[in-house]
Amino acid sequence: MFQPVFLPTSILFVGGLLEIVLARVLSRATKGWLAFLASVLALVAVFALMPAIIHGDVLTASLFDWDAGNALVYRVDGLSVLFMLLGAGMGSAILLYSVGYMEEEEEGVTRFYVLMLVFIAGFVMLACSANLLIVYFSWELIGLCSYFLVGFWYKQQVAADGARKVLIITHIAGYGLLAAIMLLYVRTGTFVWTDPAVAPAFSGGIVLMMIVAAMAKSVMYPLHTWIPEAMNAPTPVSALLHSACYVKAGAYLIARMYSIGPWHETFGNLLLVIGCVTMLVGVIFALAQTDLKRLLAFHTVSQLGYVVTGLALGTSLGVAAGLFYAASHALFKGTLFMCAGAVQRATGTRDMRKLGGLASRMPVTTLVWLVSAAAIAGVPLTNGFVAKWLLFDAALEAKQAVVVVIAWAVSVLTAFSFLKATVGVFYGIPSHELRAEEIHEVAPSMRVGMGITGALCVVFGFAPQLLMHPVIEPAVRSMGFDWQIQVTWLGIVTGSGTIGVTIGAVAGLALAAAFGAGAYRLVRAPAGRGTVAVFSGGEPLPVDDTLGVVDFAEMAEAAFGPIYSLNPDPLYFRIWREIRDGAAAAGRFATSRIERAPVLTALICAAVLLAAVTLP
Amino acid sequence: MDVMYLGCFVVLACAIALYAASVPQGNRGWWILLAAIVALVVASKLIGGWLIGAIVLDLAELAAVALVWSRGTPQAAAAGRLYLFAVVPAIVCTLIALALIGSGGARPGPWIETLVVWLVIFGFALKLGLIPFSFWLPAVASAAAPMTTALIVSVVDIATFGELAALRDAAPWIFSGHATAWLTVALLSMFGGAVLALAQTELKRMLAYSTIDDLGFLLLGLIVGGPIGMAGAGLGALSHALSKVVLFGAVGVAEARIGKSVTLDTRGLAARLPIAGAAFIAAALSFIGVPPGFGFVGYWRIYVAATQFGGLALIIALLAIAALDLLCYARAIHRTWLGSPQIQVTGAPAYLAVSVVASLAVIAVLLGCYPSVVTGAAAPGLLALAR
Repeated sequence: MFQPVFLPTSILFVGGLLEIVLARVLSRATKGWLAFLASVLALVAVFALMPAIIHGDVLTASLFDWDAGNALVYRVDGLSVLFMLLGAGMGSAILLYSVGYMEEEEEGVTRFYVLMLVFIAGFVMLACSANLLIVYFSWELIGLCSYFLVGFWYKQQVAADGARKVLIITHIAGYGLLAAIMLLYVRTGTFVWTDPAVAPAFSGGIVLMMIVAAMAKSVMYPLHTWIPEAMNAPTPVSALLHSACYVKAGAYLIARMYSIGPWHETFGNLLLVIGCVTMLVGVIFALAQTDLKRLLAFHTVSQLGYVVTGLALGTSLGVAAGLFYAASHALFKGTLFMCAGAVQRATGTRDMRKLGGLASRMPVTTLVWLVSAAAIAGVPLTNGFVAKWLLFDAALEAKQAVVVVIAWAVSVLTAFSFLKATVGVFYGIPSHELRAEEIHEVAPSMRVGMGITGALCVVFGFAPQLLMHPVIEPAVRSMGFDWQIQVTWLGIVTGSGTIGVTIGAVAGLALAAAFGAGAYRLVRAPAGRGTVAVFSGGEPLPVDDTLGVVDFAEMAEAAFGPIYSLNPDPLYFRIWREIRDGAAAAGRFATSRIERAPVLTALICAAVLLAAVTLP
Repeated sequence: MDVMYLGCFVVLACAIALYAASVPQGNRGWWILLAAIVALVVASKLIGGWLIGAIVLDLAELAAVALVWSRGTPQAAAAGRLYLFAVVPAIVCTLIALALIGSGGARPGPWIETLVVWLVIFGFALKLGLIPFSFWLPAVASAAAPMTTALIVSVVDIATFGELAALRDAAPWIFSGHATAWLTVALLSMFGGAVLALAQTELKRMLAYSTIDDLGFLLLGLIVGGPIGMAGAGLGALSHALSKVVLFGAVGVAEARIGKSVTLDTRGLAARLPIAGAAFIAAALSFIGVPPGFGFVGYWRIYVAATQFGGLALIIALLAIAALDLLCYARAIHRTWLGSPQIQVTGAPAYLAVSVVASLAVIAVLLGCYPSVVTGAAAPGLLALAR
């Protein structure tokens, strides 16, 4: 009998199948609407599961033998539902956006929608599966979808190269997960992680291997370098995969490890270090970017550092903060990517050096951008503020003051980076190229798609309890924590004994706002010129000059110079060159000795073999 | 399992024939030899006595040598000579070994046992082209028509591997008492095959070395044995057969269209040949065990068996080799198929050949998505093999 827990995955796969079957008869827009419909129906099916999950139930079902002796077993708990909502919810908004985005695409539209639907289905399957073999299958399925979607414009060398990097880094690191699963199976005789035999066998080595796999998927330093190269994908891909879902797969795995076996403080400390380093490296690299999507990509790295840090804290508030952050990041970063896509679609470029002054021509996109940029910077009344607030509170509660300092510094740098991007793209004077072009707002479906997610950033900023209680609380409970958190309007935590911190921070915030308002009144932006005056740090700039994105990038490079040498790519290139050169040397040896002297080779090897067999 | 092998051989033989009808692979003699090889392979599986079956399969090997020779070029003749040089001693060694083993149940004295094990390893390593006896396979791949090589690696080699699996079943002492020697050959083939594949610039030679690498993995499944190891080897062999026809087929289609060998300097083929490119990518990823390809179904079992046998060290070694495979195939995909097209296609479109290749690639993905179709049906056979 069919069970409702399989409904979301089934709807998405059927949607993908229909796209293939009807490819010849459907228009490009209709294909988009079909994909959107499938995703919305899947979202509805996820919502239908929520009452039971909120009630504290765990839904399990077994559908069929996927492979001999390995059933497709689903176990849906609070954590699963959170990630299912991310997949189907963000998927719906982004597929709606895609209808307009893909309408001008000449070829590959069916391929695009099929891959997007299969990706969401794979992500949902990953979140639900109780069989670790299926978990790995889903892990790689979404990896392959990412590979093919990044390489969507495969005739362009940059897109193909980006896809290759995605495949190699994420798949090789994924072998960590596979090895961990194999070891667990050999120790326990089962692939089902809910089996009681699994928890005692869940050793530190296994956790370490899973962390390696999670690091690559969730762009943790130093396995993050694939994501900037993945930005040559269509923007909906960047929005769905490289902000909302794909990069959250690693976070899911880390969160799920709490349910699989005992969690030791050492794992948490390791992840704290990884999370904090990733936060810092991501934002510092973002500062130096002049390509809008690459800037967002490096912020994804940085923001995922926050998510992992929250999960690593190992307390109820910490994991709640991490999960809330994961959901919030999906919303604001997905929105930012959609805005970036709208800008690129309208202007034909995402190079911030060529952009500027779009606020008057694309007011809706600008508004949505401003909201989501405020959210990522942690401005109050947005979900980003609540997420950061919770994280700071959790870190203080866990006596991790260093984490708070790092996270705060990263927040400041994030705000700085988005100031650069916002001014560079939407304000100031348009470049010469853009002045001559007729630029207007993007298609309505694109505006609605990004508008929905942008609005949710504000909704969950005002009333985070709407997300906390029905979604985050069951997820935290499913990870084995008690829920002791009371979150009210604007994300003020009142139930964890930290009201003093909260009041102090609110006072600090009020002071900062007052200071900001005072400074603004004193400096006063020059009206009528269309530019934004920026404090230059010394001598005033010439009258017709302002700080542009290049100045920001150069300032960042000057300030953080040594940190840019932490880019691990040169090391990866060196490893690759060593392997390639070693292989070439082996190839020359094989050609000269084995293929050109087969008799001698065969005789020598036969003699060696005889000796090997004879030896005891 | 034999039924599964037989079905696979028949399907692949039909696919190769349809392909060759679209993209000519040889003259009339080629077709006769193709029919003879398929008939001999099928007969070897149907014949009850395994010594006689081995002799029939050896005849198929000799016919395969003639198939390589039938192309008529000096390179093909040279490759044929190398192949013959490998096959003749291999046949002699394996037949002597089989004669000494007899029914296989009773373990002989120590000297006979040593001789038998040596003959079996040497004979089968030559037949399968395992490292360091791999000299003939890259030469054959480079000189012969693509479907000739596909037939050799997907049908003749896999049938030979099946013979080895039967031997594992009938005389387990050949493996269990000499696991170190077998493991050395398997690891050498895996690692050497992967490294040498990475060293190649011509795609057909790269595919030949990756065949050797994969046979090392399959051999490991046999060495470990047990239900999972044997099932891994059996399913891996089926996946190997399926994928290799697609891989050689896609390269063959490209060669027919561009009129020369496909190398790493042939850029952007998928822009001109999108279906063949997609088939190559799907089969390549399946072949190296990336889900949802069918290859994963055999690979995960081999990984489990390896972990049981050699613990963490062996699984890490296997995954490192798998990573090399990925590097190799990713390079082939991205240097040859994807990216900006820098080559013109001139030959006539080969719709039938492309359809064959694409259909087999789709089958490889579908079987990977729902492997129970094979593993469920094959379970009794797999268990019988394991016993």
